[in-house]
Amino acid sequence: MKKLFKLAIILVLLLTLPLYMVMAGGKKEEAKPEGEKAAEETGNLERYKLSEKPVVIDFYFVVGVAGPLAQVIDGMVEEFNNTHQKILVQPVYAGNYNQTMTKVQSAILSGIPPDVFVVEISELYTLLAIDGIIPLDKYIEKEGGDTFTGQYFDALYGNARAEGKIWGQPFQRSTPILYWNKDMFAANADRLKAAGLDPTRAPQNWDELEKASTILTDREKGIWGVILPGGWNDWIFEAFVYQNGGKLISKDAEKSHFDSPQVLEALKFWYKLTNELKVSPPLRPWNQTPIDFSSGHAAMMYYSTGGLPLVRKQSNFDFGTAFQPKKVQYGTPVGGGDFHISKGIPPENQDAAWEFIKWMTSPEMAAFWSRESGYICINKKGLDLPEMKKYLEEFPNAKVAAEQLEYSFPKIMAPNFQEIRKVFVANLDAMMQGQQSPEETQKKLHTSVQKILDEY
Amino acid sequence: MKKRDPRIFLFLLPSFIFLSIFTYYPIFDAVGLSFHRYGAFNPKPIFQGLKNYIDFFKDPIFWQIILNNVLFGLGTILPTMIMALIFAILINEVRSLRTFFRLSLFYPMLIPYAAAAMVWVFIYDPSLGPINLILKLLKLKPIGWLGDSRYSLIAIIIMTVWKNLGYYMLIFLAGLQNIPRDLYEAATVEGTNWSQKHWHITIPLVGPSTLFVFVVSVIQSFKVFTQIYLMTEGGPGYSSNVLIYRTYEYGFKFWQLGRASTLTTLMIMILLFLVLIVFGVWGRKITYQAA
Repeated sequence: MKKLFKLAIILVLLLTLPLYMVMAGGKKEEAKPEGEKAAEETGNLERYKLSEKPVVIDFYFVVGVAGPLAQVIDGMVEEFNNTHQKILVQPVYAGNYNQTMTKVQSAILSGIPPDVFVVEISELYTLLAIDGIIPLDKYIEKEGGDTFTGQYFDALYGNARAEGKIWGQPFQRSTPILYWNKDMFAANADRLKAAGLDPTRAPQNWDELEKASTILTDREKGIWGVILPGGWNDWIFEAFVYQNGGKLISKDAEKSHFDSPQVLEALKFWYKLTNELKVSPPLRPWNQTPIDFSSGHAAMMYYSTGGLPLVRKQSNFDFGTAFQPKKVQYGTPVGGGDFHISKGIPPENQDAAWEFIKWMTSPEMAAFWSRESGYICINKKGLDLPEMKKYLEEFPNAKVAAEQLEYSFPKIMAPNFQEIRKVFVANLDAMMQGQQSPEETQKKLHTSVQKILDEY
Repeated sequence: MKKRDPRIFLFLLPSFIFLSIFTYYPIFDAVGLSFHRYGAFNPKPIFQGLKNYIDFFKDPIFWQIILNNVLFGLGTILPTMIMALIFAILINEVRSLRTFFRLSLFYPMLIPYAAAAMVWVFIYDPSLGPINLILKLLKLKPIGWLGDSRYSLIAIIIMTVWKNLGYYMLIFLAGLQNIPRDLYEAATVEGTNWSQKHWHITIPLVGPSTLFVFVVSVIQSFKVFTQIYLMTEGGPGYSSNVLIYRTYEYGFKFWQLGRASTLTTLMIMILLFLVLIVFGVWGRKITYQAA
């Protein structure tokens, strides 16, 4: 009987295992301080109550890459609140890019917008179509106009300009870059050399990429040559189209160029890597990809520069970053999220929001954010700070994304981008998993994207 | 027929008012909007007849989503019901540790859907998740689960069965305990074996519970949202997208409220139709009284 009891206890423990995991997970989430909680802890609220009432603004932010960036943002906001007596920013983590856009859009349309928020840069036309944001020109003028914007990489304003105005301020900005496992290249040096490749540098064009991926794929050990990650495969694919000298849609967002031969060629190349040569996995979740790479399950990956801190921390091998290989030219869309200020809020909240944005993108904060997140140091003055110089010297991999800006294009923008993105990703998914041919994919993409563009 | 006391309508009034505001009005409004082009980008509804419906019927994605719904229904309802009944019978017959077994099966019900979904995201993780680790130990090929079109819907089905099994089992258990013991005693005296006993006594007599479980799980299978939202966002491609998630996408991601209303209306029609059939055909044949 005693034995039976022991057995029963073990069984209970085993069967309720997921329950503990839930409890553990739940606690972790609770530990994340929300704006008010953080303020209470530092005694902010008390102080405010004693002096004049601060302007309280809600800040919706997004975390778009794997890693603990929510805590970094919370910390930055806390510092802002500590140094700005008259403003209290309440940070709200709104999920990934899709979820954040859904929340922001619902909030705007129901008349209770967050005061300041970060969403993905392709959403600008949607924000304009629902009349949700204000132009930032008057604030920029006050700060000195071109001298102010001149601090930032100009390529990053490409997705913030429309109708002759500036509607957003760059913040968590990135380009996709090619990560490569130097140790793996070195271990296969002979075979790479035999194929005419240099094992001490990353592939520089599609041809080299294809060869290197084929050589480095090891099915026995479960190693992929290169990962083209899912989830944001639309963004990575856009880069391939630019590299091939093409584009996705016209600049006025009226005509789809998905029917161009450049797009077809890029589709065919992806199909070849994933389905014919099978050197790239059919579909890898976005947040899974850097984990695969840093655990040695892939020789190369395309990923946002925002994956750098995670890969740096987790990989026990020497890795490098490089420009994405070219076809006819180097090319990449910029990516990431910009700050926006809502329209339907009191002017003092808008002013406070601008103060906050200005502070968050100051040289010091931009450099700090870049070091913590791996995103581009958007403020060029930040690059001259001693701690940033030291960091880049120690970790030159962090330079690549900003250098690649020279070859960057503004990211695709259209009203109701969410709908285009849905179709785009779904069709790429289907092709990467071998369910439809590149030709079929092109046809479907062109007709559905054109249909969506026609509606607005 | 007895004449109704008119005062009953007075007593029904409060609940009728609430239902009207929060249920009937939105339903009729949605049906009305479903004939319009309406959304964030064209805030004034434009009447366009059946166009939304025709667009959907012509859209292959819509049919894939309906198919996913049917597959999800088949994949969850039957296994859940059969397993719930079997476990209920077993637990009913087990003498010792009954509470322990009941708890083991019932606890998934107590976990919030969102938390359970996150746990299963980990369980399905292609490189670290326990399922794939076991597959690797057995020298089988690991499966991409949520990231693979072929398995994403199955993965969600498994998780949903796990989550709901305990609740339905409890309902069956309650049904079983209402069956008079003397029927089984009589059957034993007549010399029936275990399976005959359950086939001829248990299954017919838990009829009301079965009907209840069936109707609830049919409705549940159309209401599957949380786990899809958190685990796959309907992907990869459209492989785990279902009617209600598509409605959400049209409503709150694409902000086309007209089309979202069309999908809602279609869903209401399908559900009403199913429930009517179930109650109409099956409801009459149920044995409510053991005597």
